[in-house]
Amino acid sequence: MEWLKRNQVAAGSIVVLLVAAFIFHAVNENVATSMFKGAWFFAVPLVLGALTGVVGERSGVVNIGIEGQMLVAAFAAFFSAAASGSLVVGILVGMAAGIVMGAFLALTTVKGLMDQIIAGVVINIVATGLTSFFYRPGKVLSSNMPQWDIPLLSQIPLIGDVFFQTGPIALFALLSVPVVHFALFRTRWGLRTRSIGEYPSAADTAGIDVIRMRLVNVTIGGIFAGAAGAFLSMEATAGFERGMTAGRGFLALAILIFGGWRPLRVFAAALFFGFTNALASQLQGVINIPQQFITLLPYLLTLVVLAVAAGRVRAPGAVGQPFVKGEGS
Amino acid sequence: MRSHVKLSAVVAAGLVAALAGCGGSTGPSTGSGGGGGTNTAASGDCSSAEVFCVGLVTDVGKVDDKGFNQAAWEGVEQVKGELGAQTKFVETTDPKDYAKNIKQFTDAKYDVIVTVGFLMGDATRAAGKQYPNTKFIGFDQFQADPVVPNVTGLIFHEDQAGYAAGYLAGLMTKSNKIGVVLGQEIPPTQAYAAGYENGAKAANPSVTVSKVYHPAGNTAFNDPVWGAGEAKKMLAQGADFIFGAGGNTGNGALQEAAKTAGAGDKIFCIGVDLDQWDTLPAAHPCLITSAEKHEKDGIGELLKQIKSNTIKPGNFFGTAGISAFHDFDSKVPADVKTKVADIVKKLEDGSQATGYKAG
Repeated sequence: MEWLKRNQVAAGSIVVLLVAAFIFHAVNENVATSMFKGAWFFAVPLVLGALTGVVGERSGVVNIGIEGQMLVAAFAAFFSAAASGSLVVGILVGMAAGIVMGAFLALTTVKGLMDQIIAGVVINIVATGLTSFFYRPGKVLSSNMPQWDIPLLSQIPLIGDVFFQTGPIALFALLSVPVVHFALFRTRWGLRTRSIGEYPSAADTAGIDVIRMRLVNVTIGGIFAGAAGAFLSMEATAGFERGMTAGRGFLALAILIFGGWRPLRVFAAALFFGFTNALASQLQGVINIPQQFITLLPYLLTLVVLAVAAGRVRAPGAVGQPFVKGEGS
Repeated sequence: MRSHVKLSAVVAAGLVAALAGCGGSTGPSTGSGGGGGTNTAASGDCSSAEVFCVGLVTDVGKVDDKGFNQAAWEGVEQVKGELGAQTKFVETTDPKDYAKNIKQFTDAKYDVIVTVGFLMGDATRAAGKQYPNTKFIGFDQFQADPVVPNVTGLIFHEDQAGYAAGYLAGLMTKSNKIGVVLGQEIPPTQAYAAGYENGAKAANPSVTVSKVYHPAGNTAFNDPVWGAGEAKKMLAQGADFIFGAGGNTGNGALQEAAKTAGAGDKIFCIGVDLDQWDTLPAAHPCLITSAEKHEKDGIGELLKQIKSNTIKPGNFFGTAGISAFHDFDSKVPADVKTKVADIVKKLEDGSQATGYKAG
């Protein structure tokens, strides 16, 4: 109840949007369902990528290497799945690849005090180079990713269709959002994580091992980018292509800021962006204006929402600044 | 300080995007890839009149790219024995190297140089003027007036291939809804789309065609995930044919159709440019045919013309149509086959227009 009072705007807009979505659904079930499905399909890698960003940046480490993490994970996931014949192996290897790339970022920036932006750039370049060099055409998955109908939940009109008739990685993304949100704002780990991202020297004084915590968080946070990569090459398509992330890691970064470094808002922002994309492609050929103007739509709408509704978002205080014990900041 | 960091983050991110953009399309350098392999063995002296040497310069990409580079190289290799030719390729890794790579062959006094891709058109014409005794074949390069006497552009009517594919889809669709997922909106994709739409409507006036072009410029042909998402949306809206015409973006759409329940029975997909049955095994469950430019045959034909000295400058139109049905041969009714074959023939001899006007 108290939450409702504090977040009248947010709660209000959720209700309005839900009502609008169901009205749309009632008017044209087929088109509405397919568009919302398309929105979520588009949003899955963005949500996962942005969660990697949330965990890292809340701990005070900027991660612009999400694109590279996703690409390496997509590569590792697909080729290990193709070689082993097991989808589970593919997903796990993809997540592990995300973690390894996260560990690289953590070690270079937290331990090695390398500039965080440069470390991210390095990840992206190395990822492009390695995956292009070792790419081999002609590999296929032994079987397709399963599609699950979650009992009961998948029966809900519209929402069931969109979120609960799902592949495993999309489901993982859906579950990760509330879990990370809860962990970040309701657990001891979350409080400590936020404190080392806001004011590390104070956290240090309070007895938190800032260095160790950043190392662990940035490393483990890679699991989400890893899952995003596996989603791209195994669940969304059935094959790895060079450069197939196509800028989604950078979009995730934008979604992270749009979502104000909060998992639930990130989820909403990604869905919104996904929906405007679905809208743009749906309108192509229907409205008779040059296609380029229609494809501006997602960016234009995002801009409007950012300016009007989202208000000012604030980055974690110490993001981008390396922590050296005893030096303060 | 913080705003400074943020600004540099944005700049760096943009920089990386740019870098990744060009990095992604380049590969390791010349000849290290598998596939055709460079064959310099048994090298005669190309400057002597008896030795017929054919050199091929790829567009950015490799000769095993499942796309036009591969088709061009296979076209060269296909007639190699017949013409007694000595062949070699150079893989371009950076558009800046077009002229340099062509020069490798002109320096070695090659008789014929094949350059692949619309983007190499200018470099090819420049080289043609500089080396009037060398013959050039510009693959996918439309030759505008004034033509260079020793340069021939090999081009195709994409709209004809699209028309044949659309005609097949129009005859076979049960839902009267078909879709096409394209790369960037440029003349070749527009031609495919227009041909597909007109062909489908000619076969079945009640059909509706949904088409979508990829919005972004730099990744438009290499975004399979987007292609898959669009195909998913079209299929959910009732389409039962998906035509993927946009490199890896289109391939994503084909793979999505292949994964959909009913693929091969109720859901079909159509590949593009070459017979994708050979290049995209992941699409086998739904790949009924491909809208095919006969690129290999076009290259072979032109090389034969050069050997027999009957080649003309300007543009040479290769034929376009649809590929074999492969495993779907039994699923295409006999009367559909007859009608489609008839249309392909009419398209080839020019008695059937596609309704597409360039420009």
